[in-house]
Amino acid sequence: MDRNQLIKWIEAPAKMAHKYSLHAVYFCTGCGIIEIPPAITARWDAERFGVLPAATPRHANLFLITGYVSLKTLRAIIRTYEQMPEPKYSVGFGSCPINGGMYWDSYNTIKHLDRYIPIDGWIAGCMPRPEAIFVAVTHLWTLIEKDMADGYKRYRVHYSEYRANQERILGALEWPPLFPKE
Amino acid sequence: MNLNILLMIAVGGSVVTYLLSSISERIRDAFAILVTLAVAVAVAMLYGRTSEVTLWAGFLGNPLLLRIGPISWLFAMTVSAIGCLSVVFSLKYMRGRERNGFYYAMLLLVQAAMLGVTLSGDLLSLFIFWEIMSWSTFLLISFNGGTALAAGMKYFVMSITGSLAMLVGVVFVLVSFNTLEISTVAFALSSAPPGYLWAVFLLFGLAFAVKSAIWPFHPWLPPAHSEAPSPFSAVLSGVLIKMGFFGLLVLMYVLIGRNDFLSLGWEVLPLHTILGVIGAVTILLPTFIALLQTDAKRLLAWSTVAQAGYIILGISFGTALGLAGGMLHFLSHATFKALLFMVAGAVEYRTGGIRDLNSLGGLIKRMPVTFAAALVGACGLIGVPLTNGFVSKWLIYKTLILEGSPFLAFVALIGTWGTILYSYKFLHNIFLGQLPQNLTSVEPAPFSMRVPMVVLMAVVVLFGVLPGIPLTVIDEIGVTLGFSALDVAPWGIVSESGVVNMLNISTAVVVSVLVAWLIFWAGKSGERVDQADSYAAGAAVPEGRYQYSMHFCDPLRRMVTPWLTDRVDAFYMGLTVWFTDVSDGLRRFYTGYVGHYVMYVVLFLSALIFVELLWSPW
Amino acid sequence: MQVLRLILSPLAALVIGILFLGLSRKFMARIQWRYGPPLYQPLIDILRLFTQRSVSHGVVFDLGIILTLAASFVIVLFLPFGGLCPMSGSGGLLVVLYMMLLAPLGMALTAGESANPNSSIGISRWFILALGYEVPLLLVLLAVMTRYDTISLVEIVAAQRSHTSSIATFPLVLSGVAYLLIMPAVMGLRPFEVVQAPQEISSGPMAELGGRYLAMATVQHALSMFIGISLFVNLLWGGASNPLVFLLKMLVMFALVLWVNAAFPRLRIDQAIRFLWRWPTFVAFVGLLLVVVIGD
Repeated sequence: MDRNQLIKWIEAPAKMAHKYSLHAVYFCTGCGIIEIPPAITARWDAERFGVLPAATPRHANLFLITGYVSLKTLRAIIRTYEQMPEPKYSVGFGSCPINGGMYWDSYNTIKHLDRYIPIDGWIAGCMPRPEAIFVAVTHLWTLIEKDMADGYKRYRVHYSEYRANQERILGALEWPPLFPKE
Repeated sequence: MNLNILLMIAVGGSVVTYLLSSISERIRDAFAILVTLAVAVAVAMLYGRTSEVTLWAGFLGNPLLLRIGPISWLFAMTVSAIGCLSVVFSLKYMRGRERNGFYYAMLLLVQAAMLGVTLSGDLLSLFIFWEIMSWSTFLLISFNGGTALAAGMKYFVMSITGSLAMLVGVVFVLVSFNTLEISTVAFALSSAPPGYLWAVFLLFGLAFAVKSAIWPFHPWLPPAHSEAPSPFSAVLSGVLIKMGFFGLLVLMYVLIGRNDFLSLGWEVLPLHTILGVIGAVTILLPTFIALLQTDAKRLLAWSTVAQAGYIILGISFGTALGLAGGMLHFLSHATFKALLFMVAGAVEYRTGGIRDLNSLGGLIKRMPVTFAAALVGACGLIGVPLTNGFVSKWLIYKTLILEGSPFLAFVALIGTWGTILYSYKFLHNIFLGQLPQNLTSVEPAPFSMRVPMVVLMAVVVLFGVLPGIPLTVIDEIGVTLGFSALDVAPWGIVSESGVVNMLNISTAVVVSVLVAWLIFWAGKSGERVDQADSYAAGAAVPEGRYQYSMHFCDPLRRMVTPWLTDRVDAFYMGLTVWFTDVSDGLRRFYTGYVGHYVMYVVLFLSALIFVELLWSPW
Repeated sequence: MQVLRLILSPLAALVIGILFLGLSRKFMARIQWRYGPPLYQPLIDILRLFTQRSVSHGVVFDLGIILTLAASFVIVLFLPFGGLCPMSGSGGLLVVLYMMLLAPLGMALTAGESANPNSSIGISRWFILALGYEVPLLLVLLAVMTRYDTISLVEIVAAQRSHTSSIATFPLVLSGVAYLLIMPAVMGLRPFEVVQAPQEISSGPMAELGGRYLAMATVQHALSMFIGISLFVNLLWGGASNPLVFLLKMLVMFALVLWVNAAFPRLRIDQAIRFLWRWPTFVAFVGLLLVVVIGD
């Protein structure tokens, strides 16, 4: 953790700020949300690393998708992700967003979340323990450091494909396409 | 310009306007604007002149005099300026309505009457013009018919009561001092025993108190101002109320005289303290009643009642600073209240008559200039620095705090907080929030409505940054009335303790805004999104159901409503019902059967004979 | 020299306000038996927020947040900080009082333009809460102003330095107690944290604020905490002759408020008003009454 290295702050303040101020939208997807409260309260204390829950997507820059994604939830996830300000990072938490996990043959869940929104990193497990959240956060720091956490840029570039996937599975969406805008 | 020529132009303009409306609407509109503009310019040119003119010698044995001095000039200027602006506003508002010739004629007549009131030099002409003003305003208040008629009747009955008191007062003065000219009466009263002073104060004071709608004479105001046509509501709230204050000023400091007035009353509770307490009550309760209103114009009307309390608090306090504060607040209130009523009128005009705060919203996107006007008016009403409301309220607060009345200061300050709540409710429910579906095609206010709003906005800000402009006039008035002179500079008053240095405060505000804007500019800009892209917990915004305006400030409302029943209004209504019942009972004597009437005559004669036989008083 | 003071005072307020924000998080963490973020964490948050590209809902959205931050800066210019007071002769306490009502108004314009009912509910709660604490606060301020017969903060501080702190004199001790009771409300901390209420109304007025807007709202919150405590220290605890002692006094008061913040849950808005209008108002009212009756 290089938070106390002043040189790095002077060289790349935006990057360092994003690393050590990861506020996660308090979006409770599925079973995995039960692992978040211990992570942010006294026992595992995520606030040491600058990780805090945020009340609305407008305040956040981290999105943890913590469990299985049903169709209804996917609608809300897409809307929430689009309302977050850029730069933003999203992490798939648990096995279900990776490949469907325990619900691999369900008619109602999404098996591969990264077809619908861009994911920067995955945490495997069913459910991963809170320590795994910290490992994921430190890995995300490395990715941010190396400019490899560019999910939001991929979303912008490939938006038409993402939107097509979303509309194929969800039908018509109530909000207009996010890009191109300007 | 001769004063009686001025008055004749004003009255004649009203008559000609009515006649012209049968020829052409546009000619009549142009003529109305021309007349009011000419009157305003003429009054402006009379600044600094004192003159006296006989309007009509020998009316019922007394000459009718017109006089202009500093007080008269200030009030006359306000009357003619706001009147002119409201005529300009009425152009589009009343276009195509029926009987609008009558409307314009009455509007001009009201202004002429108010001009007459301010220019009158003796009590009889004051009374005559007062009466003309009363019934012409009644005709205009009930212009729309229906509930407006009931509101007009309520106003009329209360106003008549006051006018009758004034008539008794005029007769009393005539009988006691054999003259009605104001300066002679003042001289005679200065050597009269306190009973005379009390009689004059109570009789005339009742009339002026009813017109200025201070508690407990306020119940006529909310229905009257909300049911009148909006440009006339602007005139009502802006200047009609102030006629009551003009009368009170003349009564307290010209007729009775400053020293006599301040010593009137009992040792421990002098009269001016009672007036101050009345002012405090007038501030406190109507402010919170305004918060409970859902009709935009009724909210503004209750706000007028509350602000009248500030004025009475200022002028009855007895110090030069207090008088300056009260007078400046009268001027400021005229400007920003007229502005706010014009805003409500513009919104009503463009949305097809919607005044209900619960069904409007988001109009800032459709009517930006109107929003700017509403914002400046609301800032003036609250007393935000850089507006004229701030200067006047500041002077009132300083007087109250430094002269040792912290409780009155407390009430005044709480009044300001309540003002913030209902001003924000007004702004938010009309202009902010989500634009409902049925209002997406509302057009901006027409040009002829925007002109008076912009002019008033400019006045509010100008007098806020450079309060020296009105304060020089007010200081003159204070000196005329016998108060000590204030040291007036263009940017404020250099006074004993705590320099009201408007320039310093304005600079601090401007610099802070600049710094805040620099910080703002340093961050990454935000991209514009419309109201459909709002946080709704991951769902799309439900169209038409995402505006919070009903039950605004509901927790406070629930706590405070039990305390806020308008007991005075209930009392008056109860009185009316009782009168109706009694009259209904009396009516039953008239059975229509002649035999009963003969019996009444016989009974009465026998009663008279009985009395004569027993006590023989005759 | 004057220009230097004009810059130094708001800068000091900014630094100390942000320090307070970080201190509050560290303090709360330690009370909760965890380590908590470093003291400079709010700086990192603000920096991150400035680099995010968020949304704006209109011109008034931008102007409102600028206005609320500007109002806080103006108040800071009029508050004595140790021996430092840039605007000392220009109306003092009344201007502070007036500007304290501008800050919620600016935020109200921004929140109103957000077109979000959470923001509108939050703002209505903010105004109601402000009305709640303004009643006792005005009584306290009027008592102090009447007792020292001036509206200038610098004179009040000077009077206390030559005699003794107001809170140690009778009857101003009652006003001091009343101010202590309402201090959490003035600063927006528990049990009166009803305005933001992240769990209930999604942070209320700040629901649609992101990026630089949220950063400015955070800075404004820091400044409002600074102002609330600084007002108490100046009016009732004697101010200070140099900034370091002033800072020390502020830290003591802040620790007190944080202890209360850690121990209490959040009250509902009507419970908050009922409390604020009951005991603190009564005590402050008795204090003002005694000041007027006893005289000098």
